[in-house]
Amino acid sequence: MSRTAKTACCTLLLLVGSICARAADLSVMVLNRDGSGVGEVVVTTMPAAAGTATPAAPKRAIMDQRNLAFTPRVLVVAEGTSVEFPNSDSVSHQVYSFSPAKRFQLPLYKGETHPPVIFDRAGLVVLGCNIHDAMVGYIYVTDAPYFGTTDAAGGLQFKGLPAGDYQITIWSPFITDAAASLKRTVHVDAGEGAALRVQLGLPLRARPEPQPRRRDWEY
Amino acid sequence: MPRVLRLVFCGLALWTVASSAQDRLSVDGDLDLRWVHASSETSYLNGGLGDLRFDSDHEGLRLGRAFLAPTLRITDIVTLHAVVDDYGDHDRNPVDMSEFYLDVRPFPTNAVRWRMRVGAFFMPVSLENRGIGWTDVYSITPSALNTWLGEEFRTIGAEVEARWLGASSGYLGDVALIAGAYGWNDQAGALLAERGFALTDRPSTLFGGLGVPPIDFYHEIDRKPGFYAGLSWRHHDRLELRALRYDNRGDPDATNTADLYAWQTRFTSLGARLEPQAHWTFIAQYLDGDTASNQDSTGYDPFYMTFHAAFALASFEWAHERFTARYDDFHTHQLSGYYDGPPSNDDGHSWTFAWSHECGDHWQFVAEWIRLNSSFPPRLELGEPAAEVESQLQVAVRYRIHMGW
Repeated sequence: MSRTAKTACCTLLLLVGSICARAADLSVMVLNRDGSGVGEVVVTTMPAAAGTATPAAPKRAIMDQRNLAFTPRVLVVAEGTSVEFPNSDSVSHQVYSFSPAKRFQLPLYKGETHPPVIFDRAGLVVLGCNIHDAMVGYIYVTDAPYFGTTDAAGGLQFKGLPAGDYQITIWSPFITDAAASLKRTVHVDAGEGAALRVQLGLPLRARPEPQPRRRDWEY
Repeated sequence: MPRVLRLVFCGLALWTVASSAQDRLSVDGDLDLRWVHASSETSYLNGGLGDLRFDSDHEGLRLGRAFLAPTLRITDIVTLHAVVDDYGDHDRNPVDMSEFYLDVRPFPTNAVRWRMRVGAFFMPVSLENRGIGWTDVYSITPSALNTWLGEEFRTIGAEVEARWLGASSGYLGDVALIAGAYGWNDQAGALLAERGFALTDRPSTLFGGLGVPPIDFYHEIDRKPGFYAGLSWRHHDRLELRALRYDNRGDPDATNTADLYAWQTRFTSLGARLEPQAHWTFIAQYLDGDTASNQDSTGYDPFYMTFHAAFALASFEWAHERFTARYDDFHTHQLSGYYDGPPSNDDGHSWTFAWSHECGDHWQFVAEWIRLNSSFPPRLELGEPAAEVESQLQVAVRYRIHMGW
């Protein structure tokens, strides 16, 4: 191996080692007032310093209609994501949104193909069904490079974040705490990563469980 | 109803069935067979003044109801609905319709969603009859209050609803204002005056009649439209409140060529349905109003009667089982127009207990027992005591279908 090649290999190994050493995990836990975990909470993670992270590549996501409910009820996607709206029910749906971040109308009939909807602007998109008024869903469109929703125990793990400071935003349709009070800045340490616990100060809004009543009619 | 309307309805019904395209037509339906044991005087449906659907001479195996409810999507925002019924009783039409209307529902472009219905349909009062075909999902037989609304009232006209959709503002619920204008409801009140309140799952149909001889309801006598206005508030999918003021603006002096007089009937209804969690449902409804007519009043004061009715219901649903208990209280009080007979003063209460079991997507079994105490002096004219205690046990087997094309 020539000296030049050896130098290149060493440089590459050092670079990879340096990146590996700098990447760390961030774990977020969202807790209710009584200490129990809160699921379906959107967590977005934005580097505090501009230009220090590569934005998530636009991709595809699915918002299903199942048992007269949006599934998942809360979906977080990157700007530019193409979202499919399949219909797993035996009845028709007519999905709509009049939220400023995305206005659209999408009738979902059996046997017809439905084009995906591209969510190209950050913001909250509230979904409804024009046939079933009780159906409500949320698509949170973010320009943050790292995001996700908490599991039923209230936890969410971001793996392999570059070390540095991050602005954390927390949102859920069921949280009543002021949005500003839920913003956090976290330092992710190169070796140890970071853990963030957010305890809510106010009770959650009632979170009605969907009660599918396919044979209900609007009387 | 006028013949021209019948022709329009029948033509549209045929078109409904004939039209087909992808996911354009869906049909729901029930076949409901009953075993009935009744300990009651002759039902008004069989010519007596008993307050239950079946009686000691009409029990055993019976057809509860067979219905088909087609829905045709004409455009994305316009659908046509019909409910075609057969009750297997003395109705002059073996097959009839209880609803037939166009539903126009534009996609909302802001937080207010408009909706319009045109045709013949139930007005939004009952909190029990939420199933397809106006079926009671908590028991077989609806309360006295909702039984009466099913018997004598149908909006044959138009209704407009403006619904504020709260989700876009972070509120899980909505509030709707509703207004309806209608005709052909000038007979509303006649059955209540003749019989008082009852508990049956036999609502009227658009072209048939109830009882022996059959009373049919949907006539336009005074050529004046009636109105109603209501409010509905749904909070977190757990609480629904409804209020409605109804006035058919009938002219009690108006009469038609068949010598039928118009009845002026007005009422206010209030209702609440609470579903605090997935298993429990609580419903309470109240109705208060009056009715007047100059029918048969030659030489007497015009007929005038006040009425009120209420019920409270608790229902527990667990997996495939549902248990329901309901208490009904109902009264009518005739204030003038005594004719020669006893006054139409109905005072009654009843208990209803029901158990239903879901068996897959198609089968349902329901058992229901009703005990009804009532006092209604016009029974004296039939040689029966004014005060009666009636009971009825029903076991229903239902087969339900859903088809789509």
